[in-house]
Amino acid sequence: METRKGTKTRNKWILSALIAILVLAIAGCGSDNANNASSASNAGSTNSGGSAAETVVKFASDASYAPMEYMDKDTIKGFDIDFIAAVMEEAGMKYEVVNTGWDTMLESVKQGTEYQAGLSSVSITDDRQQTYDFSVPYFESTNMIMVKEGSDIKSALDLKDKTVAVQTATTADELMSKIMGVGNTKLKRFDSNTVAMMELDNGGADAVVADIAIVREYIKNNPKMKLVGITDTPNFGSEFYGILYPKGSELKAKLDPAIQKVIENGKYEEIYKKWFGEAPDLTNLKNAQ
Amino acid sequence: MDFNFDIIWGYFPLFLRGTLYTIGFSIASIILGSILGLGIGFGRMLKSPLWRWPFDAYVNIFRGTPLYVQILIVHFGVVPFFYGSTNALISGVVALSLNSAAYAGEIFRAGIQSVDSGQREAALSLGMTRGQSMRFVVLPQAIKRMVPAFGNEFIVLVKDSSLLALVAAPEIMYWGNTMKGQYMRIWEPYLTAAVIYFILTYSLNKLLGYIERRM
Repeated sequence: METRKGTKTRNKWILSALIAILVLAIAGCGSDNANNASSASNAGSTNSGGSAAETVVKFASDASYAPMEYMDKDTIKGFDIDFIAAVMEEAGMKYEVVNTGWDTMLESVKQGTEYQAGLSSVSITDDRQQTYDFSVPYFESTNMIMVKEGSDIKSALDLKDKTVAVQTATTADELMSKIMGVGNTKLKRFDSNTVAMMELDNGGADAVVADIAIVREYIKNNPKMKLVGITDTPNFGSEFYGILYPKGSELKAKLDPAIQKVIENGKYEEIYKKWFGEAPDLTNLKNAQ
Repeated sequence: MDFNFDIIWGYFPLFLRGTLYTIGFSIASIILGSILGLGIGFGRMLKSPLWRWPFDAYVNIFRGTPLYVQILIVHFGVVPFFYGSTNALISGVVALSLNSAAYAGEIFRAGIQSVDSGQREAALSLGMTRGQSMRFVVLPQAIKRMVPAFGNEFIVLVKDSSLLALVAAPEIMYWGNTMKGQYMRIWEPYLTAAVIYFILTYSLNKLLGYIERRM
């Protein structure tokens, strides 16, 4: 035992250093290879004379965001799904939408090999544009406050010293981080809006902030909980969803005109009515494009 | 590889705070889980099946279901029932302790049963009472054998505490998720979290190695 002790500790150090290097190397190679591969496949498709119809565009999505995209048993449904169907028909391209979850979507779209785009109600923000390219805006949204009936909360600023639940990685998280401070422990971030809403229901939060479509759907589906939705236009401005592309993607140039066409030819309005029961006000969306 | 260290520095104070929470959750749950586990371990060694079955059931349920679900049940069911509303700090300690107790109980039981029955018989034949033979003969030998298994359990517990991000307990993984949300990048937050967990578990490992050699 005693004689081995010295070499054992040294070996331990060498081993841990090796593991650390290995992890970094794998991570590094991973993204390098991915970049090479994606540029290679792009080159391939241009060489074959732009036969866009033959390549299948694969969209990654986090389908846990009803009514925008969600799983109904094993099929993916929602506004975004119907919308992309119209866009891809307009562009004349084959496509597929796969539920990958949020994290996998982020990384695989960044690499751009398996999935060439992300479709998951992603709001276009400056921070995100540093890592990704976005399509032209295709959906106008805003955040909404959800409270229990009889609450004294009337606007976003009333939330300052309240306990607020949000979903991590959403613009609601970002807005409330600005209002309350990133490190504020009264701002509770959850993996999904469902869990955030359960926290409100169980008295662990005074309010939930989330996208308006999500809050409305939840209030509609849970009439017994006596919930109220509050809009606050001055503090929660308009935001726009975009399709997520890897940096320098050629898809953007192909799909942007198709998106605009779908919005202009009435198809968009039809899909919007199907999911939200009312006609969209397209003025802000068209201005943002 | 584009690895943006600037955003890590921005989150550094939060990761530090998260680390303190992780250490707090781990220490509290290790202590509570071990105390509870000791009782469960002895309960599992009862002769009468009638008295033994609640302890058997406890171990089987907590070892046989995902901690993920246990945390949700404790957070949204058990804690609101006793405390009135949800509280991530309480549910974190309770869920981890209850889970850890099942494993600790098995470690205690296995450690004690691994001591040859001849040892106990010899102690009894020397005129020791059953309590004395347990305290002075069986337990000292058993505890020495339990140390590596406990080390393993503690390390698993430290890493398992990352699941508490699920109910917004502000530990390391929680701030990792927050950082991921702001920048929509996964390597910076997750690798940073991994490095912190590695430092924690490696130090724990060292400490346990020291204790093992001292015994």
